[in-house]
Amino acid sequence: MTLLFRRPSEMRLLVWVAALAVTGSVAVAAAEKTAFDRSQLAVPVAFIVLAVGLHLFLVVRGFRGDQLLLPMAAALSAIGLVLVQRLASSLLANQLQWTLIAAGAFIATILIPRDLTALARFKWMWALLGVALLVSPLLPVIGREVNGARIWIGVGRVTFEPWEAVKILLVIFFAGYLEEYREVIAHPRRFGPIPIPPVPYLLPILAMWLFAMLVVVFEKDLGAALLFLGIFLAMLYLATGESFYTLIGIVLMLIGGVVVYHAFGHVQVRVDTWLKPFSEDLRFGAGYQIVQGLFALANGGLFGAGLGNGMPDRIPVVWSDFVFNAFAEETGFAGALALLALYLLFVYRGMLIALRAPTPFLQLMAGGLSFIVALQTLVIVGGNARLIPLTGITLPFVAYGGSSLVTNWILVALLIRVSDLTARVRGTE
Amino acid sequence: MTPSIASNLRSLTLTIAIAFLVTSFGVGYWTLVASDELSSDPFNPRLVSALRDRPRGQILDSAGGVLAESVRSADGYLRKYRDRTLAHVVGYASFKYGTAGIEAAYSDSLVGQDPGDPLAVWRARYLGERDVPGAVVLGIDPKVQKAAVDALAGRRGAVIALDPRTGAIIASVSYPNFEPNQIVDPATEDLAFQQVNGNVDKPLIDRARAGLYPPGSTFKLITGAAALENGVSPDTKVRVDDPWQADKSWGDYYVRSAAHAHADFTMADAYRLSENIYFAKIGLQVGGQKLAEYASRFGIGAAPRCDIAVAKGQLSNTGTLDRPTLVADTSYGQGELLVSPLQMALVAASIGRGGVMPTPHYANEVRDSAGNTIRTIAPGAAGQVIRPDTAARITTYLVGAVEGPGAFAFGAKIPNVHVAGKTGTAENPAGSPHGWFVGFAPAESPTVAVAVIIENSGQGGVDAAPVGGKVMQAALGR
Repeated sequence: MTLLFRRPSEMRLLVWVAALAVTGSVAVAAAEKTAFDRSQLAVPVAFIVLAVGLHLFLVVRGFRGDQLLLPMAAALSAIGLVLVQRLASSLLANQLQWTLIAAGAFIATILIPRDLTALARFKWMWALLGVALLVSPLLPVIGREVNGARIWIGVGRVTFEPWEAVKILLVIFFAGYLEEYREVIAHPRRFGPIPIPPVPYLLPILAMWLFAMLVVVFEKDLGAALLFLGIFLAMLYLATGESFYTLIGIVLMLIGGVVVYHAFGHVQVRVDTWLKPFSEDLRFGAGYQIVQGLFALANGGLFGAGLGNGMPDRIPVVWSDFVFNAFAEETGFAGALALLALYLLFVYRGMLIALRAPTPFLQLMAGGLSFIVALQTLVIVGGNARLIPLTGITLPFVAYGGSSLVTNWILVALLIRVSDLTARVRGTE
Repeated sequence: MTPSIASNLRSLTLTIAIAFLVTSFGVGYWTLVASDELSSDPFNPRLVSALRDRPRGQILDSAGGVLAESVRSADGYLRKYRDRTLAHVVGYASFKYGTAGIEAAYSDSLVGQDPGDPLAVWRARYLGERDVPGAVVLGIDPKVQKAAVDALAGRRGAVIALDPRTGAIIASVSYPNFEPNQIVDPATEDLAFQQVNGNVDKPLIDRARAGLYPPGSTFKLITGAAALENGVSPDTKVRVDDPWQADKSWGDYYVRSAAHAHADFTMADAYRLSENIYFAKIGLQVGGQKLAEYASRFGIGAAPRCDIAVAKGQLSNTGTLDRPTLVADTSYGQGELLVSPLQMALVAASIGRGGVMPTPHYANEVRDSAGNTIRTIAPGAAGQVIRPDTAARITTYLVGAVEGPGAFAFGAKIPNVHVAGKTGTAENPAGSPHGWFVGFAPAESPTVAVAVIIENSGQGGVDAAPVGGKVMQAALGR
């Protein structure tokens, strides 16, 4: 019995997550025309068992860290499963399998390595591994091209988007490198108000980043490029506090944006559909998806059509690119705001963990990992709501897709480990 | 001192929070602010989603006849249309190809959410309680519609008739037309839509309200009004010698008289015999600026306010009359003018009503499921566009153009009723000229105004005027 109360907040919150998973699934099933099939409850029940299993695993391990991240990630994953059931029920079993694998990855990350700070020592290995993963889709045999973007690797029927994993490796590498050299990088000689960065020390980072950009450009994945650049700038800022670097970075990003716009047809199409999706020649062509997505948002109103009662299925590939709009259509502005709040809370918790972390490496890593979730959410929701051009970024935990889910659960495990370590070092809860 | 990572973390978190706030505003904009506009977009599949799950309201003609209704079938409701000749007006509500016509313009009303009933709209949006839809009643008079269909007899063109007193459209035919039942039936929709959409004759276009043609001599109604109100005396004889040019600067450009006339013309003669050179001369006398002003008063170049989208036409490519040959050509209805039959019917109606232009409308009222009126569509007059005495004088000339000796528009005569009318011949680059007729009856106090166009029919009066006559006769119940 006492086991149940070692991590009481986590347990209590998981009860609400369980309620969310079951009611969501039942609501979707009830809205369908066919008679209710009890076996449909198998998915939420399996998910709840899994989530509680993870909780008990942390309890048994005597974990002392954050108790909010696991329930929040579980809540987001539950919403994801409900939406897959709603939008692409044939993929539901697939998504459940991936959730299982993600839980496995979570447990593995909790166990290995025994010493979290050791990650920093192998920073160059992470960099190399990241490079290898990024190049892998371009290789024959295992590389796969899906929808015009060569960003997949596959063995048999199992496919994986390696860059999802690369973003975590990148954060660990940056954190390790910046911890070592941040003193030098943060104290540039100044030419008036303009800092002149110590170029030699920035070179490895720049090279790493440039390489990532090149691969991404060759693999035609705009969203990933934006994400890498964002992570790079955010971590540089975290380490140095030098907003001038960020400014230069953003200017470079804009210049790069103009260059790719003129160089690549698919980028021009993206921008055009962003600027005028409703024009006669685009609304039935390249702009069809975003127009249907906006129709879905418009149908949401304040409280939404109700789960299963909207028409988000009119949006092409809604289950991976436009889950946010589907959720907003059926739960309204209120639901969309709640979802955004959940993400913001997750990021806030992650940043809090970073703030309390005992070493600069752990601070930078936890900050970078939290930033990934924030940036991904902002970029895809911004694209869905036509605030910025649409990119192929996934909505963390919620969008259909295995690579993303597994990576995000690894990310949660890393954050929880940092908070556990902090609690042990400080000797507090 | 090294800046603390902690303080950087705080500012980064703050930045993220602000970005989330901005994003929330963006989402709020689409879900709440832009919601109405997007929800009524004709291409929004949600507008017609009700088609399958729930019945959509009926569309009725003015005699209560059903033009469109939802019929229950094995896989949900199917829209059925009862009169193919009204395909353009009634439109269609297709799950795949969007909506058109009344089905588009009154989409909200047809799903039980008429803007005239805010409570129903509110309940549907926020509580998901949807009222059983009622009906939209059109001004279409089945007798007049049938007369128009029979008179046009399958020739490519359009007929539109309206009541000048209210602006209600009582008949509208556009040919070739299409079969709306095939466009809304999932079994045939793709093939049917491809066929009509790709057809060179453009059967999807409602020629009566969206077809654009040079008005030819029917534009002389406007030229005459501009002349009368700007110092041209109608009884002054104007010399006509075919061919004519104002001066040598026109080069080898001449205005031609259809009758190769060499005579003196009063305005009455010029209307009766449709003399181009007369109108070119008085048009030049009035000047391009005044002529443009009167065309704009009669709504040429601006879409009339109407419950269905209608064409706006044009005075010229630039919107102004900036050279004498263009003024001369415009005065007798050629040049770069483009108008729709609906616009010309409104011009005729305004002259018949003593210079008051009506606002056209296709629907007369929206009813709830119990048959009670939710909303009456009575937009009132658009305004006084010319003086009553000018209108009265032109009416006299137009009666002469139908009943006078040698009148071109004799085919529009109706026994025991004075008819005012004007034929027109629209020269066009695509083959032989289109024939026009515009008119109204009874001339003293009209209850019907009509515009007819028959494409590539040759000289106007011969073919178009009798069609106009039969339609007006049906409207007058004779």
